[in-house]
Amino acid sequence: MKTKHIQHLYRRIGFGILPATLNKLSKKSEKAIINELFKASKQFIPLEVDTSEIKAIYKSAFMKGEKLDAETRRKVQKLSRMKQLELNVAWIERLANSQDVLREKMTLFWANHFVCEDNSITYIQQFNNTLRKHALGDFKAFVNAVSKEAAMTKYLNTKQNKKQRPNENFARELMELFTLGVGNYSEADIKESARAFTGYSHNLQGDFVFRKRAHDQGEKTFFGKTGSFSGEDIIDIILEQKQCAKYICGKIYRYFVNDLIDENHVNEMANVFYKDYNIENVMRYMLTSGWFYNDQNIGSKIKSPIEFIVGLKTIVPTDFKNPKQLLYIQKLLGQILLNPPNVAGWKGGKSWIDSNTIVLRLKLPSLLLNNAYISKEKLGEVDEYAQAKKEAFKKKYGKRFKTVANWEYFNTQFKNVAISDFQKHVLACEVSESAKAYLQSLEKVSKKEYCVQLMSLPEYQMC
Amino acid sequence: MDRRKFLKQSSLASSLFFVPSFVRAFEEVASSTLGYKRLVIIQLSGGNDGLNTVIPYRNDVYYKARPTLGIPQKDIIKLNDEVGLNASLKPLKRLYDKGYLSIINNVGYPNPVRSHFRSMDIWQTATDANTYSQSGWIGRYLDHYGKQPHSAIEVDESLSLAMKGEQFNAIATQDAKALYNLSKDPYFKNIHKHKNDAHLSEHNLGYLYKSMIAAESSAKYIFETSKTVTSKKEYPNNKFGKQMKTTAQFINSRLDTKVFYTSLGGFDTHVNQLNAQKRLLGNYAESVEAFVEDLKDNNTFKDTLILTFSEFGRRVKQNASVGTDHGTANNVFIIGENLKKQGLYNNMASLSNLDDNGDLKFEIDFRTIYATVLDKWLEVDNKKVLNKAFNQLDFI
Repeated sequence: MKTKHIQHLYRRIGFGILPATLNKLSKKSEKAIINELFKASKQFIPLEVDTSEIKAIYKSAFMKGEKLDAETRRKVQKLSRMKQLELNVAWIERLANSQDVLREKMTLFWANHFVCEDNSITYIQQFNNTLRKHALGDFKAFVNAVSKEAAMTKYLNTKQNKKQRPNENFARELMELFTLGVGNYSEADIKESARAFTGYSHNLQGDFVFRKRAHDQGEKTFFGKTGSFSGEDIIDIILEQKQCAKYICGKIYRYFVNDLIDENHVNEMANVFYKDYNIENVMRYMLTSGWFYNDQNIGSKIKSPIEFIVGLKTIVPTDFKNPKQLLYIQKLLGQILLNPPNVAGWKGGKSWIDSNTIVLRLKLPSLLLNNAYISKEKLGEVDEYAQAKKEAFKKKYGKRFKTVANWEYFNTQFKNVAISDFQKHVLACEVSESAKAYLQSLEKVSKKEYCVQLMSLPEYQMC
Repeated sequence: MDRRKFLKQSSLASSLFFVPSFVRAFEEVASSTLGYKRLVIIQLSGGNDGLNTVIPYRNDVYYKARPTLGIPQKDIIKLNDEVGLNASLKPLKRLYDKGYLSIINNVGYPNPVRSHFRSMDIWQTATDANTYSQSGWIGRYLDHYGKQPHSAIEVDESLSLAMKGEQFNAIATQDAKALYNLSKDPYFKNIHKHKNDAHLSEHNLGYLYKSMIAAESSAKYIFETSKTVTSKKEYPNNKFGKQMKTTAQFINSRLDTKVFYTSLGGFDTHVNQLNAQKRLLGNYAESVEAFVEDLKDNNTFKDTLILTFSEFGRRVKQNASVGTDHGTANNVFIIGENLKKQGLYNNMASLSNLDDNGDLKFEIDFRTIYATVLDKWLEVDNKKVLNKAFNQLDFI
């Protein structure tokens, strides 16, 4: 497979690829590479931080059949907040260092599809692992699992959805955001399907509970069919609509291929997906399609903040000594994992970029990796003061972020890469004429300085 | 037709031809001397307890529902025979006495949501309770009427959803110098030296370059314009006080900005509310009074309207921890010099006719306030921004 295509593949199903792996893969066929990708993601490894303290509190309350008193509730909330930060950091580490990179990238994709948020660490961790578990599996089982997650029944009020007083929130978003897309159902469909999801709830420990007495067993008419439908029946009927396959494939396409949809490509994918709603199959189809590697798709997408952070860590492993700073950076860049703006999720694409985020993105690599220093040494002119300048930068900016960048790792990884080839490893797209001219006027002091220069370009925002 | 509109329209007509630069220069001077209406939004985050802010002190139901949380009559700053203000709002009372304050009671929206995130989301995006939007109302105002990122400034580190449009975003800064420093590395200037670069027209990469150039220019403009002014007023020495001081500095330096967004958090008073709320409201009122005086000293108050809201009010009945739980409708404060309706805009909410949760039933949809501000103050078509037609009120 062509190196250019392998790089493209890995930038989309992961966060980039290092020279040694690239070199190894370039001797293999496309089919073999993609097979290996799926094989590596076969297994599901849950992501877990230690929540035993909270679980013990839940368990003892459950055994006694009591509700938590106000003080214990506050204690759990406080613990939960701490643990959410831990989970956030652990997730980013997982993204940067996983063997099953495709499954992890898919999990990240689904987290912005089945959008959910909850204060309870145990519920949200469980939800997060449900995303991971089903990320490449059967979409129908996936939707059903999501509909029964404690965090989701809380987030979209299925818990409050009772026979006597239906709450339509989940039913509406199930169709509008999770399966069909706006305008592909009627208000009556929402009303009727909300009745089918009555009785969905959870216990304190976060297990699904079906409250039979709150469930409306009466007849419902949904998409022209009538019966005493359950929540599962409703999901069956939704998936019978070809529109569902089309909607999901459109979203996958926009995330993995291009912001701008090509109707023909999406229809091809939908035909594959509609057959069995197997996510792995449609992903495989997409990744082996010739059009996936078309030039107009390469380097054409704007990285999300998480892709930006994890991508940077892939090239230069960077440790955040203060995890709160990692969270702070996510906040400033506009995407805090586990903390979506609302159920519609992050809009993505151009909307990642505003005046503040572009300025920060350009400055962040130098801030995190090089004491804010971007070398501007002119070609052929040795800057005697370069070292002094760097020292001054270190004094002034070095303390802003407590990060340790592993440049030795970088140097080993890129040792055999010719400087003329280096750019292709860092940037996914061509450099604009004026940036190219400027870079050519500068001395390539070292691969490290060159790397920081390239990462400080608008082009580095592309993947 | 007033002079400003005339100038706007005549410049529109003349733009069909070549506009001599002296005409444009004249136009800029004219519009800044004729006044430039701007909006300042203050968001009280956490759900301020409106009932202990604007208090129906003659209502027995109020004291019955709040045996240890109700504020005794003697501590209340009376506005009339029925209604008074929390004692920590003395500075606000002074604005009220000057006719600068309009209190709109019982503001909310249909099918109220009692989650902080979601309800704030609804206020910021101005959607119905069952619709989700990825753009905010000021953001959509910018989509249609904004010119530069600094057309709207959030005085904070990053942008709220309220300030993000479909195509266009505001800029956030609480420290103009820091933002400028971050953006001014010569390296960034040098990579886009050549204009008319073909890349500028490219879909996503072009957008990045354009955003970078606009950000650099806005950061520079905000810093260089605002540094000419320093405020002599004393503000409370805390984050919100500083935000208001920075906002005043921005306004008084005559920044070409239509909307400023600020916020004060901590209003989620489930436990021991009395002192916590007193401190917060005191900080709010003192900062706002200093802000108004600062603007008046610089002749900019007459062109400024201040809107204060919170994502919801709180339950009528106090809870077991001498606090209150999440509720629904709340009051909104409008502060400005030439209010059409000063003082209490409407009656207080009924405390006996409550919903099933024991919460107030709203009377005024908050989007009618937005619509009024958009139409009558910012002079734009509110329907384009709110995606729906709303009745207008007559407080301005």
